[in-house]
Amino acid sequence: MALLIDLFGYLSVILHGLTIVAQSMALGGILFLIFLARPFADALGTVGDDILRRTRRIAGWAAVALIVCEAATIALQGAVLIGTVDLSFADVMSADFAIAGQIKILAAALLVVLAFGFPNTPRPVLAGVVLLELAAATLTTHANARLEDRVPLLIVEGLHQLGAAIWIGGIPSFIMALGRCHDGMAWRKVGKRFSQMSTVGVACILVSGATMTYLYVGDLPGFYGTAYGVMVGAKMAMFAGLLCLGAMNYLLVERLRTNPATPITRLKRFAEVEIGIGFTLFFAAASLTSVAPAIDLSTDRVTWNEIVERNTPQMPVLTSPDHAALALPALQQKLDQEAEAQKKNPPPAFVPGSGDLPPRNLDDIRWSEYNHHWAGLFVLLMGVLALANQAKLARPVTKHWPLVLLGLAVFLFLRSDPEVWPLGEEGFWESFRDVEVVQHRMFVALTVIFGLFEWRVRVGGLAKTKAALVFPIMTALGGALLLTHQHAIANVKDQLLIELTHTPLALASVALGWSRWLEIRLDPPGNKIAGWIWPACFIFIGFLLLSYREI
Amino acid sequence: MTRSISTGRKVLGAALFLALGAPLPAFAHAILMASTPAVNGTAEGPDVSFDLRFNSRIDHKRSRLTLTLPDRSQQVLPIAEDGPEDQLTTKAALKPGAYTLRWQVLAIDGHITRGDVPFTVGGN
Ligand SMILES: [Cu+2]
Repeated sequence: MALLIDLFGYLSVILHGLTIVAQSMALGGILFLIFLARPFADALGTVGDDILRRTRRIAGWAAVALIVCEAATIALQGAVLIGTVDLSFADVMSADFAIAGQIKILAAALLVVLAFGFPNTPRPVLAGVVLLELAAATLTTHANARLEDRVPLLIVEGLHQLGAAIWIGGIPSFIMALGRCHDGMAWRKVGKRFSQMSTVGVACILVSGATMTYLYVGDLPGFYGTAYGVMVGAKMAMFAGLLCLGAMNYLLVERLRTNPATPITRLKRFAEVEIGIGFTLFFAAASLTSVAPAIDLSTDRVTWNEIVERNTPQMPVLTSPDHAALALPALQQKLDQEAEAQKKNPPPAFVPGSGDLPPRNLDDIRWSEYNHHWAGLFVLLMGVLALANQAKLARPVTKHWPLVLLGLAVFLFLRSDPEVWPLGEEGFWESFRDVEVVQHRMFVALTVIFGLFEWRVRVGGLAKTKAALVFPIMTALGGALLLTHQHAIANVKDQLLIELTHTPLALASVALGWSRWLEIRLDPPGNKIAGWIWPACFIFIGFLLLSYREI
Repeated sequence: MTRSISTGRKVLGAALFLALGAPLPAFAHAILMASTPAVNGTAEGPDVSFDLRFNSRIDHKRSRLTLTLPDRSQQVLPIAEDGPEDQLTTKAALKPGAYTLRWQVLAIDGHITRGDVPFTVGGN
């Protein structure tokens, strides 16, 4: 059970991210139906009917996903409570959060029924269900647990979610509608209306975001000195990126007015990237629920001086401490010796899930820094080769840049688990009994497969196929998950300083993935510009890893 | 068999960094703002009153306070149901020694967090 509560922290963030995605797509789909698909159905002719049907289907299936996510959330939290506090099932289901969750499920079920079964539901009824869902969702946000400013916070939390639903949640339906239309006038109609809708969505987000930042973060030191503030910063960065894409799409829609023959490929491609970054933003939002608001942390904040000091570049450490010197092996050795003296079985030095943190000493920190620095060299090399390849320099050599990933894989294979073969005493095959080793091995295998795959894309003629999209999707996904992974415990400064370096890494990874996506999917000249961005992201990540420090 | 990385950080997304061995931060939302006894503080025995104040409204019925005694045995302390909505209070009769109070709270918004308050009971 103790293990469950450890995993629970991470699972609940992932689950929460998925819930936000499903919720905004369900509500966004319904709002798209209310404000675009229905009003324009007649004007768009047969295409209009098609768009109506498909919008309902998107909203309906998203609502199904929302039911699943919400049920899983209640089940997960309930399981932890039943297992740790001796509560009955009924006790758990009557908790405030569980009641709000049940209302959410009910409203979502209503949306499923209306979307699939009742195509002529009056628009005010649909809007009513949307509001019910929003209200219930708002009761499971931080705002509801606040002691002060609870009502204004509940209102802006609701507004925030509404804005996200209108804008990001509506984009899948928008792309679908663009794909169904076939002439400039239809594109213009759809594009123009969606522009108006997203402007309203952006306004909701701006107003509510600013209010929440003011009430939850408070001041500048709260912004850079706490995990909460750093995550809000990451959200702002992605929001700014989305605004740029949205603004460029707005200009394109305006151009359709004067010239209905304007190609709309860019509109669709940018919208795809908006979905990707938007969903990443949702995961960042989900991870905010696992950290305490900055305003509650008046002590133990990281100061500006500490940030500057930690991030002042130093020479990378390219020599490693001996693994016997690490805290855990050293402690285990001591325990083993004591047990042997008493003729007993040695206790493990660390039990995963016990709720304790594994011991760490200075050598552990050196070990970790060394790993990061060498990984940085690999990534930097990859970036430089990719950039040279882009600049048409030494192409017979530089086009093989994905092979550098194999080197990284070998390095990780050697360094992830110092206790096992070939560095440690434990044999290669027997170590497979350890779940953690297996997971590290899987990651190494994944790196190898990924590297060979992208290499085939570059030199093996897969470039024009869907296979080319695997690399951008995987890197963007990695960045998104890295954003959700980091949650400094409220008062541990060191972890926050580490998190401060991981956030730009995650953002760079997201930018890398989506710029490569645009390079593949856009027409000239846009794809050329995008083609320079992602190698630069690689180089940036390489430097960040090289300057990574834990002390 | 020793592992230097805890289970919580074994998820694919951050796998590269996990494989690199960066330390895993824990999760925290409802945090302890103040407590009696204080973290690493002392209390006078034998009758010790506990008062933990959080940054959130707490579900008293669905939270738990567990005391680890000097002999490593554990004891669940009953939580007073009528306290202020951001506080947990309880009492215990304790002998001198080193104790740890582990709290696990359910915030009203559904988030579960936990933490420790190590303290010593003084005496003669
Ligand atoms: Cu919360």
